[in-house]
Amino acid sequence: MKYLNKDIKEINKLLKSKKIKPIDLVEEAFENIEKNKDLNAYITLNKEEAIKQAKSLEDKEVDNLLFGLPIAVKDNIVTKDLRTTCASHILDNFIPIYNATVVEKIKAKNMIIIGKTNMDEFAMGSSSRTSYFGAPKNPWNPKKISGGSSGGSATTIAARDVLFALGSDTGGSIRQPASYTGIVGMKPTYGRISRFGLVAFASSLDQIGPMTKNVYENALLLNALVGKDEKDLTSVRREEEDFTRFIGKDIKGMKIAVPNYFMSDIVSSEIIDKVKEIIKLLEKKGATVDYVDVKYLENAVTLYQIIAMGEASSNLARFDGIRYGHSYENPKNIEDVYLKTRAEGFGEEVKRRIMVGSYLLSGENAKVYYNKALSIRDDMRKEFKNVFKKYDLMIGPTTTTTAYNLTDPMDDPRKSFMDDVLVIPVNMAGLPGLNLPIGFDKNNMPIGMQVIGDSFEEAKIYHLASFLEKELNLELNPFGGEEDE
Amino acid sequence: MSNYIPTIGVEVHVELKTKTKIFSNSINGYGEMANSLTNVIDLAYPGTLPTLNEEVINLGIKAATILNCKIRKVMHFDRKNYFYPDISKNYQITQNATPIGYDGYVEITKENGEKKKIYIEEMHIEEDTCKSAHRGTKTLLDFNRAGVPLIEIVTKPCISSGEETKLYLEKLRELLSYGDISDCKIEEGSMRADVNVSIRKNESDPLGTKAEIKNIGSISNAKLGVEKEIERQTKLYENGETFLPQTRRFDDKLNDTVLMRVKETGNDYRYFPEPDIPFVVLTDEMIENARKTIPMLPDERRKKYLELGVSEINTKKLIQNRSLSDYFNTLLEEKTNHQVASNLLLGDISAYLNKNEKDITETTLTKERMLELIELLENNTLTSKNLKEIINEILESTETIKEIMKKNGIENITDDTEIRNIIQKIIKENPESVNDYKNGHDRAIKFLMGQVMKETKGKANPKMAMDILTEELK
Repeated sequence: MKYLNKDIKEINKLLKSKKIKPIDLVEEAFENIEKNKDLNAYITLNKEEAIKQAKSLEDKEVDNLLFGLPIAVKDNIVTKDLRTTCASHILDNFIPIYNATVVEKIKAKNMIIIGKTNMDEFAMGSSSRTSYFGAPKNPWNPKKISGGSSGGSATTIAARDVLFALGSDTGGSIRQPASYTGIVGMKPTYGRISRFGLVAFASSLDQIGPMTKNVYENALLLNALVGKDEKDLTSVRREEEDFTRFIGKDIKGMKIAVPNYFMSDIVSSEIIDKVKEIIKLLEKKGATVDYVDVKYLENAVTLYQIIAMGEASSNLARFDGIRYGHSYENPKNIEDVYLKTRAEGFGEEVKRRIMVGSYLLSGENAKVYYNKALSIRDDMRKEFKNVFKKYDLMIGPTTTTTAYNLTDPMDDPRKSFMDDVLVIPVNMAGLPGLNLPIGFDKNNMPIGMQVIGDSFEEAKIYHLASFLEKELNLELNPFGGEEDE
Repeated sequence: MSNYIPTIGVEVHVELKTKTKIFSNSINGYGEMANSLTNVIDLAYPGTLPTLNEEVINLGIKAATILNCKIRKVMHFDRKNYFYPDISKNYQITQNATPIGYDGYVEITKENGEKKKIYIEEMHIEEDTCKSAHRGTKTLLDFNRAGVPLIEIVTKPCISSGEETKLYLEKLRELLSYGDISDCKIEEGSMRADVNVSIRKNESDPLGTKAEIKNIGSISNAKLGVEKEIERQTKLYENGETFLPQTRRFDDKLNDTVLMRVKETGNDYRYFPEPDIPFVVLTDEMIENARKTIPMLPDERRKKYLELGVSEINTKKLIQNRSLSDYFNTLLEEKTNHQVASNLLLGDISAYLNKNEKDITETTLTKERMLELIELLENNTLTSKNLKEIINEILESTETIKEIMKKNGIENITDDTEIRNIIQKIIKENPESVNDYKNGHDRAIKFLMGQVMKETKGKANPKMAMDILTEELK
C-alpha cells in the first residue's frame, strides 16, 4: 500500500485511527528513496534511527498534522548523532553533538528525519554540482540539474520520496531548485526561522525554509519552524500566526506588482509567456496587476557577491582541522595544519569564494566594497518597502531558464550567478519569497514563478500561491502520479 | 647622555566580572579543569551563533562612566579575522568601528602632589582568547578563557614616564575593581597591560619609532620596563643607531625587556561588522540604570571619611580594604564616632578576620550591634582591654553587646554617685596615701585607684573613677 501520495489530512486520519503506523510511512519513504537512489538526493540516510523513532511513536497520541511524517533535512543543518557534511570533504566525518533549533522544532512535532540531502558544497553553487558527493539529478529528466544549492531536497520532494524537506536559501537556494524541479519552496523573511545550527555561508542572508509538493503542506511546515530563538540574535519575535489561514480564499482586489526587470530579455521567452498567462488569469479573477520599475534590482548580483563572499570567507575560517572535521595528517607546523587541511578539504568553488571574499575585505577594500554594498542594500530594502506600500505582492519568473544539462560547463562563475539573478534581490532585501510551479517548457521541464511579499507577509504569499495552484491544477508528479493499487 | 622626551601609550585589557561568557552561557571562571568551562559556541562548532550577555553591556557603560568616557549609543561588533589556534572561530568578535566609550580620562596624583589627566582614546568590548601551553612539539589549548568578556582601554600617547605609567595603572586598577568591573588580578591575567614607548629629542619633532612591551606581570614591572626601554632607545640614538618598530616582552629574570619580533607591516585583519549580532542601541534609561549601580568610588570615599573626622591613616587603610570600606559606608549616615568605628574595624575586628580568614560580611556584626559597640567604647562602659576578651563572641553571636558583657561578668559601674561614695570611703580609710599624694608622690594615686577597683571588683569605669578620685583629692 502507498500512503505518502495521499492527502496529508487523510494520512493523519489513518494514523489517528491506527489503521497505519508511522513505521509504515518510514518504510515507504525508504522504499521510494531506494527506488530513486540514482537521483542522488541524499548524502546520509538515517534508517536505523528513523525506524526506532517511528516505533517509539506508536504509543503516542497523534496530536498534529505533521505527526509521524518523514522529513528530509538539507545537509548543512546540524543533526545530533547524524553525520552533517555540508557536502564537503572537510566535514565528511563530522557527527554533531547538538541539534539545530529547527531540528528540535520538527522533533517536537514528532516528525521523523529520514536523511540528509545533497547540496552544493557549503551551499555555494546553483546546480548542486559542487557537492563532494556528486550532483543530484532532476526527476523530470535525469540528464538535467536539480538546481542548487538545495538540490537534494528539491529532488526528493519532486520524486515524491517524502512530503517534507528543509532547505536553506542564501541567494535563491530554495526557490531556484524548486523552480527547476516543479515544487513549492519558500524562503521566509530573514529572522523568521532560527539559524542556530545552520552552518553559516553568508550570515546576513542565510535563511532556512520549507520545500514541499504543494502550497498547503508548505505553509503547514512553516508553522512548525518559525519563532524567536534565544540562540539566534537575528531571529525575530512575532505574534503566533497560522500561515494556512488565507488558503482557499478569493483574491479579488489583490494588488500585484511585476518588476519590469523580471520580464526583460534576460529571461527566456517561454518563461515570460507563461508568466504573462498567469497575469491575465489574475486580472480575470479580479486582481490588479501593474508593471513597475524597482531600482537596484540589476545591482543585486554584484552586491550579493560582495556580501556573501566576504561573510563566507570569515564564516568558513573555523574549518581548520583543529577541533573537528578533516585534518591533514602529520603536519610539520601550524601553517601546515591550516594550509593543507583546507587545501585538501575544500572544493574549487568554495576556495574561489573564500579567496575572493578575503580580497574584498582586505585593507581598504572592506570600506570600498563590503560597507558600500551594505549601504546600497539598505537603499534596495527601502525601494522594495516603497513598492509594498502600494502593492500586496510582487510576482515574476523565478529563473531565467528551465533546468539545464548536468554536463553544461561550470567554468564561468559569473554564469552560475546569473542563474540566480531573479532570486537574489529577495535575500538582499530580507523579504519572503516562494516558488510556485506554473507550467512546463517545450521539453516538459517545470517553469516556476516567484511570489514575493513584504517582510513577515508569508501568509499573503501562500494566499495567492494556493489560489493559482488550484486554478492551474497542474500534474506535478514527474512519474505520472501512479495511484496506489 | 642627553635628554630625550619619552612618549608612552598604554593598552590595558581587563576581564569583566560576569557570571557567564560574553557570547555563550558558559561559566566565566578561573582555575578550573582545562576545557571544562566550554560549550559548542566557545569551540566554534559549525552552525553555532553568538548570543550577547547583557551584563557585559552594563559593565561597559559603568566602566565608560568611571573612566569619564563619552558613551556611544548606537554601536555594533566587528569581526577581526586572523588564523591562530587561540581563537576558535579564527576571528575575534570585537568593537573596531564603534567602541562603546571614547574621549575619557583618568586623573593621577604624582608624588609631588601635582595632578595629571591621562587621556583615554577609546575603550571597547571584546572576547578573550583561549590559553595555549607549549609542551615539546605539541601545543595544548584550554578554551576556558575563550569568550570571557574583556574591555580594552587605550590611552592617548600622553604618558611621560615609568612613574606615570605606574600611577595610571594603579589608578585604573583601583577604579575598575572598586567599580566592580573587574577583579584586576594581574597575576591571574584578569588585568593585562601592553605599553608603547618611543622617545624624541624635542616636543616639535615627530614621534619616534615605537616599541611595544607585552607580557608585563606587575605594575612595578611596567614602570621598570618603560624605564629600561627609554634607556635602551636613548643609547641607540646616542650611538647614531636606529631600530625598527618592534614588540618586546618584559623578562622577569633579566628584569629587562627582550625582543619578541619586529612588527610586520600591513597586518590585515579584514574587519567587517559582525552580521550575527544586531546593532546595540543604548537608551538613556539603560545608561542611567547602569550608572546607578556604580558603587562609591575611592576618591569620594576618601573625601567623606575625612569629613567625618576619620584620620588620614585610617582613611587610607580602610580604602585599601574594599570589604571593610563597604562596611564602613553603611555607617556614614549614622550619628556615631566614626574615628572609633574605623579604629575598631582596622584593629580588633581586622585581627579577628585575619586570624579566622573571614570576611566582615561573614560575621554577626550587624549595623545595630556595631553602633552599640561604638557607644559602649566611647563612654567607657567597655574598655579596650575587656573588648579583646569578648571580641570573638561579638562577631559570632547575635546577642546584644551588653548581654555578652554581662555573661562575661564585665559590668562597669558607671553610676556617678555610687563610685563617688566608694571613693570617699577609700580616701577616709587611707589617710597616709592621701597625704603622700598631696606631697607630690604620684604613685599614691595608683594605689588608691587599685583600692577602688578592688572594692568594686574591677567594675568601676576606670576613666570615670580616676576623674572622681582626682577631684575628691583636691
